[in-house]
Amino acid sequence: MDLEQIRELLKLVAESGVTEVEIEDEEFRIVIRTSHAESTARVISQPAATQVLADATAPPPFVDLNHTPEAEVPTSTGRILRAPIVGTYYASPSPDAEPFVQVGDVVKPGDVLCIIEAMKLMNEIEAEVGGTVKEILVENAQPVQYDEPLFVVEP
Amino acid sequence: MLRKVLIANRGEIALRIIRTCHEMGIKTVAVYSTADRDSLHVRFADEAVCIGPPPSRESYLRADRIIAAAEVTGADAVHPGYGFLAENAEFAEICEDHGLVFIGPTADTIRMMGDKSLAKSAMRAANVPVVPGSDGIIEDLGVAASVALEMGYPVMVKARAGGGGRGMRIVHAADDLEKHYLAAASEAESAFGDGGLYIEKFVPRPRHVEVQVLGDGQGRVKHFGERECSIQRRHQKLVEESPSPVVNEELRKAMGDAAVRGAMSVNYRGAGTMEFLVDAEGKYYFMEMNTRIQVEHPVTEEVADCDLVQYQLLVAMGETLSDRPAVMDGHAIECRINAEDPSRGFAPSPGAITAFHPPGGHGVRVDTHAYAGYVIPPFYDSMIAKLIVRAKSRDLAIKKMSRALDEFVIEGIHTTIPFHRKLMTEQKFIDGDFDTTFLESFDFSDLTNHVH
Repeated sequence: MDLEQIRELLKLVAESGVTEVEIEDEEFRIVIRTSHAESTARVISQPAATQVLADATAPPPFVDLNHTPEAEVPTSTGRILRAPIVGTYYASPSPDAEPFVQVGDVVKPGDVLCIIEAMKLMNEIEAEVGGTVKEILVENAQPVQYDEPLFVVEP
Repeated sequence: MLRKVLIANRGEIALRIIRTCHEMGIKTVAVYSTADRDSLHVRFADEAVCIGPPPSRESYLRADRIIAAAEVTGADAVHPGYGFLAENAEFAEICEDHGLVFIGPTADTIRMMGDKSLAKSAMRAANVPVVPGSDGIIEDLGVAASVALEMGYPVMVKARAGGGGRGMRIVHAADDLEKHYLAAASEAESAFGDGGLYIEKFVPRPRHVEVQVLGDGQGRVKHFGERECSIQRRHQKLVEESPSPVVNEELRKAMGDAAVRGAMSVNYRGAGTMEFLVDAEGKYYFMEMNTRIQVEHPVTEEVADCDLVQYQLLVAMGETLSDRPAVMDGHAIECRINAEDPSRGFAPSPGAITAFHPPGGHGVRVDTHAYAGYVIPPFYDSMIAKLIVRAKSRDLAIKKMSRALDEFVIEGIHTTIPFHRKLMTEQKFIDGDFDTTFLESFDFSDLTNHVH
């Protein structure tokens, strides 16, 4: 797959409003996830010939300057719970443990949803509202900033 | 070599620091509150991290979130700019504890020079002339009264933890001391969390002349000449220039040497400014030291042909200073353009800038984070641009500043441009005949906006 084809694909995906597309064939697998008007592409595996391509589509630095927290619009209905601090998001209390919550879980206000680590302190982030977890918008070990949307909870 | 610097600030100074970092090949991280999402420093940095809601105490003053932002972006240094946490010794310490290089002096230096009475003692010990004052904190009103009597009225009652013109009162006679003393103590307590006061001889009609110094923290300090900053309103500077029209070569050498001596005595590291009061007889007295880069640093850069932010970064990377003295040439003036209405008591004027066209041409520099369409948030200080000119002489610099002010188009908000335009035509300003009381008798009622 060349850069031009990936660009076309990104455009198509953005225009279609689809949130996630995964394409796989013998040579490669590409996953595209969108948020609002943008797409990011991560090429998972590719033959040596297209190594250069992977670098060209490397993920943007920590915070893509076109991507500010409020621009993120998840696709389900419900209340967006946002990061109250800056740090690294962890889904589980420890690396081997089960995640605090999964999609579909019902949570009460005050339930711990995740940990955000900052300055070597593990801060437990509690749910402000109760309801069903519809979406988890971040990945384990992802750096998050203030106001970053983390969960969609439908009361 | 520093790879990545986090700028713990906003507005024009954040942009200023980003520019030099990029010229040096250093990556930059901006931090911002939700009110500053569309700010230029966020756009121009390589990375940006949102650190809180609009109020400064929930964002730009949040050391914990700033450090967290440095951690997640892998920054190796923090530049604090001016204001906010720039002179917060605890913040400097926290940076160091977390393995981040703090672009500035050590926490101990900040702490000492931030305590106005400790700073004066240190300077006295270094043979730097100091405004006659109480040796330490005044314990109570009784002590205040006897110190003031001995010194002779008028005196100034000042907060130990104050700065930027806040927490100070002039007392003209013994009868007024009690009320000013008590009021100053409670103001200081609520504004700075420290009600400690000291007393200084009040120098009438002083000029505020400050000296830019740079130390490498390894025993060397040099100075870059003086800045005249007497055009102030309520102790806030509005116009600065370098050199000072009343400082001759002899005084420049004396003040420069004193500033270097004082900074060396504390093994100063980084950029700093020694503030002096100069009286009508040309006697100078140390007032305080600012242990940060200052708003008005560009006038020094223009006459000394240097990049002070670059020097801050180099010193932070362990470079030592050369023996070569700085060479000053020409004359530079800076006008602070604030979003305020000077004909209505400088009332703040936040809101959307609908047109923004800065002046240009030879010898004109504009340091700004504003642009057409920018909405000035109401949460922070009102300065939106600094207009700096440089010319071969003071006369030519004033003419150039007048020309540049005439060209500067800012619409949608009120600005202090009309005030600056009038100031450039005032005979006393042109003659260099002014002190810090100058604006008390300035007529603000006949300011006009330019007609374009």
